[in-house]
Amino acid sequence: MDLIVEYQAQLIAGTVMTIRLALTSLFIAVILGLLGAWAKLSNSRVAGFIANVYTTLIRGVPDLVLIMLVFFGGQVTINAIGAATGLWGYIDISQFIAGAGTIGLIFGAYFTETFRGAIMAIPTGQIEAGISCGMRRSLIFRHIIWPQMVRFALPGFTNNWLVLVKTTALVSVIGLQDLVYNAFTAGRSTRQLFTFMFATLVIYLLLTAVSDVLLRALERRYNRGVVRTN
Amino acid sequence: MIDAPALQVNDLYKSFGDNAVIKGVSMDASRGDVISILGASGSGKSTFLRCLNLLETPDSGDVFLAGEKMAMKRNRRGHQVPVDIRQVEKMRSRMAMVFQGFNLWSHMTVLDNVLEGPIYVQNVAKAEAKEKAYAMLERVGLSDRAKYYPAHLSGGQQQRVAIARALVMEPDVMLFDEPTSALDPELVGEVLEVMSNLAKEGRTMLVVTHEIAFARDVSTKTVFLHQGEICEEGPPDEILKSPKTEQLTTFLSRLS
Repeated sequence: MDLIVEYQAQLIAGTVMTIRLALTSLFIAVILGLLGAWAKLSNSRVAGFIANVYTTLIRGVPDLVLIMLVFFGGQVTINAIGAATGLWGYIDISQFIAGAGTIGLIFGAYFTETFRGAIMAIPTGQIEAGISCGMRRSLIFRHIIWPQMVRFALPGFTNNWLVLVKTTALVSVIGLQDLVYNAFTAGRSTRQLFTFMFATLVIYLLLTAVSDVLLRALERRYNRGVVRTN
Repeated sequence: MIDAPALQVNDLYKSFGDNAVIKGVSMDASRGDVISILGASGSGKSTFLRCLNLLETPDSGDVFLAGEKMAMKRNRRGHQVPVDIRQVEKMRSRMAMVFQGFNLWSHMTVLDNVLEGPIYVQNVAKAEAKEKAYAMLERVGLSDRAKYYPAHLSGGQQQRVAIARALVMEPDVMLFDEPTSALDPELVGEVLEVMSNLAKEGRTMLVVTHEIAFARDVSTKTVFLHQGEICEEGPPDEILKSPKTEQLTTFLSRLS
């Protein structure tokens, strides 16, 4: 316990980094997910094809491989393009951007499926009712589709979020000083790896427990008007 | 234009792929007309109704609402598309529709369902809209259910809310697409009663229905569709009592 107190600054900094990384990744993933769902449900064949390639590719490749590909390969590619075209000089991709970008890209594929399913679960009759009373498309989206999509998507969203939080641990391989990285470093230098990994476990559990409480409250809010038949 | 019929449909055609569903249907509804549209399933009666407010886009034919034409043009593929979607939206709001499956917005209370159109489509002030909404709910006998969600109501009650939601828009024409077909038999009466009262008030209504009694007692005109064409039409007591065509005779004998 004394060790934990001694290293609390690193652990707190790591936890903050993990939270920042998770939230940034989530933001990117939700936007990609909405775009992907829109593309898959649109009448455009091109958009649908691109979205299908995206989700198939991402979901079939290990997260760790993608993270390293983007971090090491991405930097080389961007600089090669810059050198070839002369449009920009040397660019250094920060570990944070590479990490958040990749995790966002990965979970965007999962959110695409979550949102697509949620939109398809909305009864078409309710959309037709909106159309037939003269509502504009944007109004139908905001008042009829969005609130119900959120409701149908929340269980899957919660699940994706919890997996995403855990996936952030992978960024320690590219040297981003998240909770796992800091705990691992502290554990090795003190030869008390077990103690620090146990502390890490507790912190992750706390993070997911808090998420669970918040998301449950959100689910209650969006479940108004729903009757459960047991 | 004052004497223009409330609703006029000229030579409407609609097919789904190779399947021609509506083959040249024309119809006039004067103010206060209640037209019941009968026909076997597959006769195209629901499709016809859905073409009027462009839930389905007709292949050709014109729709006039109180003399105003719903302006359509052809796109590059030769399909009909609205010239101005805003005009279409405006005309839709004047032709309220009541569906077989009620289609209430399940995440909104009864009151919010009724308020949505006036506030967000017609831009009526909130207080005024609320007053109107309660008046409409009162009319269908459900003002005490204003704060309920649709899932907590019976089918008959949901359909009456849907009628209030349509009514609150003060439409020129009301379109009913088999409004009682999804209801348990004991709930049909309450919905038909509300509809009869609307008819007595002189509302212009097009009602796709299987309720022969409603067609006979309430409507001013009955149209019988067969395979996408008007097979027989006229005053309900005439054509329902002494049908001239074999198709209508068969149709009526199957129902009784």
